[in-house]
Amino acid sequence: MDFLNPAFWTFVAVIAGIYAIMALGLYVQFSLAGLPNFGHVAFMATAAYVMAILVVRYHVPLAVASIGAIVAAVIVGLLLAGPALRLRADYLAIATIAGGEIVRYLAMNLPELTGGPIGSMGLAGPGNIAMYNQDWLALLNRLTAVLSEASGRAVSRDFTMALLVWTLAGLLMLVFRRMERSPWGRVMKAVREDETAAAAAGKNVFSFKLQALILGAIVGAISGLLLAWQIGIFSPEDFQPTLTFYAYLILILGGLNRLWAIPVGAVLFSVLFSGTRLLNFFPLSLIDSGNRAFLRLFLVGFLLVLFMALRPQGLLGNRKELLLEK
Amino acid sequence: MLLEIRNLGKSFGGVAAVDGASFGVAEGSITALIGPNGAGKTTVFNLVSGFIRPDRGTVRFEGRDIAGARGDAVARAGLVRAFQAPRVLTRMSVLENVMLGAKDQPGERFGMSLLAPARVARRERDVQARAHEMLALIRLDHLADDYAGTLSGGQRKLLELGRALMSEPRMILLDEPMAGIAPVLGQQLLQHVQDLRARHTTVCVIEHDMDVVMSISDRVIVMDEGRVIAEGTPDEVQRDERVIEAYLGRRAPMEAK
Repeated sequence: MDFLNPAFWTFVAVIAGIYAIMALGLYVQFSLAGLPNFGHVAFMATAAYVMAILVVRYHVPLAVASIGAIVAAVIVGLLLAGPALRLRADYLAIATIAGGEIVRYLAMNLPELTGGPIGSMGLAGPGNIAMYNQDWLALLNRLTAVLSEASGRAVSRDFTMALLVWTLAGLLMLVFRRMERSPWGRVMKAVREDETAAAAAGKNVFSFKLQALILGAIVGAISGLLLAWQIGIFSPEDFQPTLTFYAYLILILGGLNRLWAIPVGAVLFSVLFSGTRLLNFFPLSLIDSGNRAFLRLFLVGFLLVLFMALRPQGLLGNRKELLLEK
Repeated sequence: MLLEIRNLGKSFGGVAAVDGASFGVAEGSITALIGPNGAGKTTVFNLVSGFIRPDRGTVRFEGRDIAGARGDAVARAGLVRAFQAPRVLTRMSVLENVMLGAKDQPGERFGMSLLAPARVARRERDVQARAHEMLALIRLDHLADDYAGTLSGGQRKLLELGRALMSEPRMILLDEPMAGIAPVLGQQLLQHVQDLRARHTTVCVIEHDMDVVMSISDRVIVMDEGRVIAEGTPDEVQRDERVIEAYLGRRAPMEAK
């Protein structure tokens, strides 16, 4: 594949946009309320599975299934809240990573419900390949046709998707910026900094943490739906804990506690992560492709470490703020 | 009595930190809570302010039993506290720290900034103006936009006091306000505490500096080993045998020769 292939970069743009929304969900929990949720991927997995199951098994219209999927993610959030919100920092992180893995293992080990290890393809039972995103593709194709006609040239489906995803990401960020700058956001940040002090100031800490967790679950669910539609088929393997770590990377690369750093971090991460796929020029072309794939992950890790060493506050972060202890 | 504590008890494992303490704080007074280290003073504050649940006993504030109520509910009822080690929100601005303390902010409810932006903005302007006044009062207005984490220990205590006062409390609990702060800031803090009484805000203060205790308090409550051992005006307490004993120990009986 060629380094400047526009189709490839359009695909990267779609994934970056979806990751931006995923990271936004985590931002509400981690950067606003200070909840180190390491099971964010559970909301994405739940939403993707519930949507696919409702569409394939129960022939529910896609829009209704999507709402059902978001509701299901909220329910998972509430289930997680019970034990998790009683815990602080490290313990909360451990409990949530377990929560995320429970969802993935359930998906893997309940084949009658989820299709098991083969994932969404197995939802219609053995011998049938299940598809859940025909309605989505139809919608996307219609939009693509409209865009092509309006712009006077052939637009790819991924381009339409990228436009859609980034528009949604932008809208969500506008809404969250407004909320972050309101007194509600002030209380959230106070809970993040010191929940005892927030309680002493008369704020109901539990209620605010719960709001953050649920909001994050909703936004996470949206990103899970978009991811499922974009990749067409998915399996439990697509919802590994690494996805949550990607979301953290995006927040950290862009700059911690900065809303507008999320798209920057998402693009930077996606370019680092996907761009290294194309390192097939000399002298790297001397290495065979299997080893190159291995080298690539090594390189991604190295670049991330280098970046953090040179700019620990991220691209848009504030170094002064970073150095203040809690 | 604005605050009335009866038979309050709390044990941690086998240690009775507070063991049947009873006392009252009169409205509009400055009441000092003193006693040797480990007497249970801070635990009493934690129990009263709802940060620890008592094992037994009642806490009446304005006649209502608040024992076992959560800290935020107690604060909203008008009984706020400051901590021994000041708790400021380090990665928020000094101004934001103070604004947080204000009551009745419609914008704190989820989604209100989107649904009723005008109402939220109006109240926010009021809160901000009052926060600036408060900062001027505690002489931190020149630091309004700095991160609270850059303040000194004494400035943090002032900031915490400012945040507490933003809610216009009926009563405030101060845990060693003078400890570990520069003398100049200490004098300033002391003046604020006395101003509070002038404005009919009741103060209950834990303090180890006896000169401070004796000069500002209307009443002094002395605790030892989880109980109240003496109570009275500063003069009465200073002469009380049990108090001297608690602080200095009992005189060893002379050996009969």
